[in-house]
Amino acid sequence: MIFPFDERIRRARRSFLASSASGLGSLALLSLLQQEGLLAAEDAPGTNPLAPKSAHFAPRAKKCIFIFLEGAPSQIDLFDPKPKLNELHGQPLPKEMTDQVRFAFIQKETAVLMGSQRKFARYGECGMELSDLLPYTATMADDIALVRSMHTEAFNHHPGQLMMNTGVPVFGRPSIGAWLNYGLGSESRNLPGYVVLTAGRGTSGGASNWTSGFLPSTYAGVLFRNQGEPVLNLTNPEAITAEMQERGIRALSDLNRERYHLVGDHEISSRVAAYELAFRMQSAAPELIDLSGETQATLDSYGVERPDPKNSNFRGGGAGVPRAFATNCLLARRLIERDVRFVNIYHASWDHHSNLDAELEYNTFVADQPVAALLKDLKERGLLDETLVVFAGEFGRTPLGENRNGRDSNTGRDHHPYAFSLWLAGGGIKGGQVYGRTDEIGWNIVENPVHINDFHATLLHLFGLHHENLTHRFQGRDFRLTDVGGKVVEALIS
Amino acid sequence: MVFRTLFATALLLTGGAILPADEPPERKVEFERDIRPLFQKHCYECHGPEMQEAGLRLDLKASAFTGGDSGESIVAGKSGESRLYLYVSGADPDIIMPPEAKLADESVALIKTWIDAGAVWPDDPESALASLSKHWSFQPIARPAVPDEWRGRVQNPIDAFVFARLAEENLTPSPETDRATLIRRLSLDLLGLLPSPEEVERFENDPSPQAYEALVERLLASPHFGERWGRHWLDLARYADSDGYEKDTARPHAWRWRNWVIDSINADQPFDQFTIEQLAGDLLPEATLDQKIATGLHRNTLTNREGGVDREEDRVKATVDRVNTTGSIWTGLTVGCAQCHSHKYDPLTQREYYQLYAFFNSADEADLPAPSEEDRARYEVARQAHTETLQRLEAEWQSYRNGEFETRFRDWLTRVGTSDVRWNPLVAERITSADGVTFTRQEDGSYLVGGENPDAAVYEFVAPISSAGLTALRLDVLPDESLPAQGPGRVEHGNFVLSRFRCFLTEPGADERELTFQRADASHHQAAGTPQAFHPSLSLEGSDPKRGWAIAGEFGKPHSAAFELAEPVTIRESARLRIVLEQNYGSQHTIGRFRLATTSAPAPVSLQPVPEAVASLLERDHATWTDAQRTQAADYYATLDGGAASRRQAVETHRKQAPKLTDQLAQTLIERSSPRKTQVMLRGNFLDLGAEVAAQVPAVLHTTPIDSQPEQNLTRLDLARWLVDPAHPLTRRVTVNRFWQHLFGEGIVRTPDDFGTRGEPPTHPELLDWLAVEFSARGWSRKEMIRLIVTSKTYRQSSRMRPELRDVDPLNRLLARQNRFRVEAEVIRDLFLNASGLLSTRIGGPSVRPPLPSGVRELGYANSVQWPESKGDDRYRRGCYVFFQRTVPYPMLMTFDSPDSNVACVRRERSNTPLQSLTLLNDPVFFECSRALGESLANSAGRDDRERLQQLSRVCFGRSMSSREEEILTGLLYDYRRLADEERAWIGLARVVMNLDEFVTRE
Repeated sequence: MIFPFDERIRRARRSFLASSASGLGSLALLSLLQQEGLLAAEDAPGTNPLAPKSAHFAPRAKKCIFIFLEGAPSQIDLFDPKPKLNELHGQPLPKEMTDQVRFAFIQKETAVLMGSQRKFARYGECGMELSDLLPYTATMADDIALVRSMHTEAFNHHPGQLMMNTGVPVFGRPSIGAWLNYGLGSESRNLPGYVVLTAGRGTSGGASNWTSGFLPSTYAGVLFRNQGEPVLNLTNPEAITAEMQERGIRALSDLNRERYHLVGDHEISSRVAAYELAFRMQSAAPELIDLSGETQATLDSYGVERPDPKNSNFRGGGAGVPRAFATNCLLARRLIERDVRFVNIYHASWDHHSNLDAELEYNTFVADQPVAALLKDLKERGLLDETLVVFAGEFGRTPLGENRNGRDSNTGRDHHPYAFSLWLAGGGIKGGQVYGRTDEIGWNIVENPVHINDFHATLLHLFGLHHENLTHRFQGRDFRLTDVGGKVVEALIS
Repeated sequence: MVFRTLFATALLLTGGAILPADEPPERKVEFERDIRPLFQKHCYECHGPEMQEAGLRLDLKASAFTGGDSGESIVAGKSGESRLYLYVSGADPDIIMPPEAKLADESVALIKTWIDAGAVWPDDPESALASLSKHWSFQPIARPAVPDEWRGRVQNPIDAFVFARLAEENLTPSPETDRATLIRRLSLDLLGLLPSPEEVERFENDPSPQAYEALVERLLASPHFGERWGRHWLDLARYADSDGYEKDTARPHAWRWRNWVIDSINADQPFDQFTIEQLAGDLLPEATLDQKIATGLHRNTLTNREGGVDREEDRVKATVDRVNTTGSIWTGLTVGCAQCHSHKYDPLTQREYYQLYAFFNSADEADLPAPSEEDRARYEVARQAHTETLQRLEAEWQSYRNGEFETRFRDWLTRVGTSDVRWNPLVAERITSADGVTFTRQEDGSYLVGGENPDAAVYEFVAPISSAGLTALRLDVLPDESLPAQGPGRVEHGNFVLSRFRCFLTEPGADERELTFQRADASHHQAAGTPQAFHPSLSLEGSDPKRGWAIAGEFGKPHSAAFELAEPVTIRESARLRIVLEQNYGSQHTIGRFRLATTSAPAPVSLQPVPEAVASLLERDHATWTDAQRTQAADYYATLDGGAASRRQAVETHRKQAPKLTDQLAQTLIERSSPRKTQVMLRGNFLDLGAEVAAQVPAVLHTTPIDSQPEQNLTRLDLARWLVDPAHPLTRRVTVNRFWQHLFGEGIVRTPDDFGTRGEPPTHPELLDWLAVEFSARGWSRKEMIRLIVTSKTYRQSSRMRPELRDVDPLNRLLARQNRFRVEAEVIRDLFLNASGLLSTRIGGPSVRPPLPSGVRELGYANSVQWPESKGDDRYRRGCYVFFQRTVPYPMLMTFDSPDSNVACVRRERSNTPLQSLTLLNDPVFFECSRALGESLANSAGRDDRERLQQLSRVCFGRSMSSREEEILTGLLYDYRRLADEERAWIGLARVVMNLDEFVTRE
């Protein structure tokens, strides 16, 4: 794949080579020749930790877009209809059901069940039942595998997010995107292999959600901003013009190579390569976020130019959040086109302890249209087959209304790790199915439970990786994304 | 056979009771012949060397009898009490073992017979534990002999070990590196700073044979040594300046412990004491403040303040972290696995894990005042100044009291005469207000307002007045349970506004007349001292319904206002007062409970009730007073006299402003007076508790078991002393290995996080043990060990790759050369600041917040992260002082592989990424350094380009430039001059040079 920007650099390089007597050995030439396979890399093999590596077996997915709804969306109001719960609205739960469970804020003594205000209907040929808050997602039902039987071990937000992103509810472990880049390398020549995009207020886990943990920082997610400078420190200081930068990088490379010849340390070659990629990112990243080449139809389908709703004073709100989220979805497609391995899209927050109906309506306004447009767009461009898309939060929400501080009217739901929903599409996923089942009120799983470790095992499997074999030795132990668990859910795979 | 089975079944069914006593047992059950094969076939898969489900291990005699997480499994002679039997027999309805296939009845019977016959289990010939115990790192440390053939040929035994090993491979060491590299290497390793060009030159030209040794001494004595080696320790300690998790609250006192670390390392506190103080400083007899501060090591655990968090769960997590971190730092072992199950590879059972846990389980967190020496000095000065001022103010008050006050007091006495100075409550004949508002008289003479609660109200209060004179009225507003926010107002938050206060007097035969007031005052009024003050004098003016006496800030408390008449009024009999309280502010700002009172005391009047003793005193003939009574009256008058009040107020105010020693706290651990019980947590779940355990150290390391009195629990102090006992096989090996790692880039054991069976063995085992022995022999001195290592020839070798080594020893395990590696994140920052001349070299103190790239702070949750940028020199402090916010770590640090401060980090990664390149090229802090260096070059008058380039090279690399390098840079300078002005050309040039691999590399 050739990008316009490559052509620009080529031209610049050619003209430079033509005008410079000291051309040979320059960064530009070396890099150009290497890319075109005309010159065997002088660097020792294995010095580039991001060099593409083979999977354990033939992969179904090559890239992943993971959309994370921070705060835990209510599955009961979006994905898992519970008519019986609506009937039992206002009833207390039998004591034996609540005895053994923990809540963050619910007072057990006075808690009562809370039905959903949402209308569910069947969509697609598969007849997937979805909430009226997801009209756009509903049009893609036949591509989606909806899992209603997720469960997790973490109970509070930050541990929950770590669990979903790193497989364990503690700090210091690598996230999914880091593992994938560690296991498979990066195929993107001009961009990092793991990119993070956020909209709304920050996530409670912060950068620990896209950390490389004990893996080298090479594998950590790189946070792109969707306006201004797309990558931290991407832009040269004002005093340094583009021409000076190119000339400077060349001198830098020449001098580093001088040193390399003297001391013979391969690390210097890696350094040269790193400066080279940094230099390429300086053009590639601004080109990435420049949407001027997208058609109006595309922009509209994602809702990139949508106005804010009247009221956006919500947990997931803020001026321009719907536009930012839509832009991130479009950027995700552009990143996938540029061979980025893993894209994280975050939106915060879905932590609806109160005012659930109004806030969920707002949040789905933010997310539903762009996410569906992304799926459709990927599909139309033939990218969905090799791109896995995940839509998930860290846990679910209770069928009980939240009565914190003895509040008498319940308008929200508390944390519920015992049963929640997420969906997957593309990348070898068998769409048009609902997997797993919860009981009549959505409290427990009654069929096909999927632990987060199982979900991760399945995800890695789609990428052609045995979850038990993708390991890293740290502090005397071989660590995995799936910790000590994980079972591939075959039924989800097409 | 059939018979035996039947027999055994009968035995099982009847518990053996029907067996005739005189009939000999069929045959004796023997463990190795009958029982072990059963265990082997059915049990070891889950309860053997690989796995110990529920903590139970049945292949070793000792572990089998210890039992599992839920308790004993075999009770010799009592099958009915042995879990083993209960579970395999099916006698326990809940648990049947093995879970998949029940044992044959015959086998069950054998087990029962064996247990009832005393469960005889011959001692294991060579148990698996014993074989694990043979692992090299668990062996006692003996002083290895220095290789003979090198004795006398090298001065430093380190070289004898290393060179002897090289000789085995027919390799020779590398020559000593040049002096410029040597001083840069040593400065980076010992201080993390660059040598100045002058220091390099002096060292290069020093003819003394002891030049290098002198340099080592100078650097070891530098106070920056503590910063550099302290930072290594902070890595292990998972030091951070915030709590972590969602709220990630700042820890403004965390740095106090960091100061302790830097000071201890600079003072070369022996490592054994350094250990004891950090693990148990609080338990030392007569612990000093510093020793208590040292326990801050284990206050670096994360704290989750997210809503709905179970406090006990969070405490358990912190305690687990303390156990695991202690394990990593001192034993180099990953003990954490055993939190949930017995360790697969290393001889640590889950029970033993919780025995370690028990050492920390009764530690509580406590923040102690922690003044520094400067604090104490500052306090001494401030306290003295305060005392002097206080004495002056008291003297002023006394002089007033004996002088002018006396005159005023006498004058007041004449005016008081023998009149009644009490406040006499008014009893209403009639109170009226708007429709539906009710007034109920209370026992204390006040009126509680109820009924309708209109937006505005006027209370009219008519009461007879009996006293002979009238000089002032008092309005008390009082709190009440029935009022919103307890009152005293009726609006939701308890306030009111008295927009106007009026008083009318009716005397028999005369028209009602309005009384005029000269002064009002209140015990409290809203927004005092501001233009918006709601002072009661506004109620006298009554010009604005939105203004008047109000009391915001002090709801739910009683307050009083007094209104002094312009002139005293003489009251005739049957006189009546009509008092009008206008409250027209609106939105229910009306009074909810009040009392009115009058007095005839001469001005000034008190807002407070007059003490009865004083009132009755004043009614008597003043001439009859004793001295004491006169003093009592004078004391009372002093509360009314403006001059006295202000002077006494000045004394009191100043007294309250006594300087505090310090607001600085230190995060420490203290031991609970009543220890917590420790139980095994099944599968690591804090709610699922198993057998109770007492503090003890792991069996495999019982080279020096800790004896405890039966009635006494072992403490953290016992644990700390055990760790630094010279017989401990791990502590010294692990610690000297880290020293080595910081001086060679790699340890002698290259898995410093794993000295267990899965880790790499040492590349030079004898050298490691020799260093370990030297360590304790040299008084556990860190500086001694560093001196020993850096003066070796091994350390001083060139780090250049030699072609013949590339194939034989690509990873340089044999040390035929030094290593060459990128410096750590903090040091990179230091080097840039250092070379540019911007570095602030101040040591210690609170963490600093240098400029943060925009958009980074916002990544914290819901604006939880504050980043008030440091000012002045603090922007240029060393990297080890940068505030570490766990959820939003300083980006540059993370980009260069700083640990995330969540768990102990014993070895940093050294990655090499494009984000690093962008950081060094463009991050505002780094570019500011390039700019400063570039500008100074551009402005160094009287030097030609060549001299400037050489100067740049000497500053950054401590060496002169080669002619090829000079050529490349001259070419660059030429082009830059074409593209930019002179100053920018040099800035650009400095930026390129500071981005070179060599600049951030220690060679």
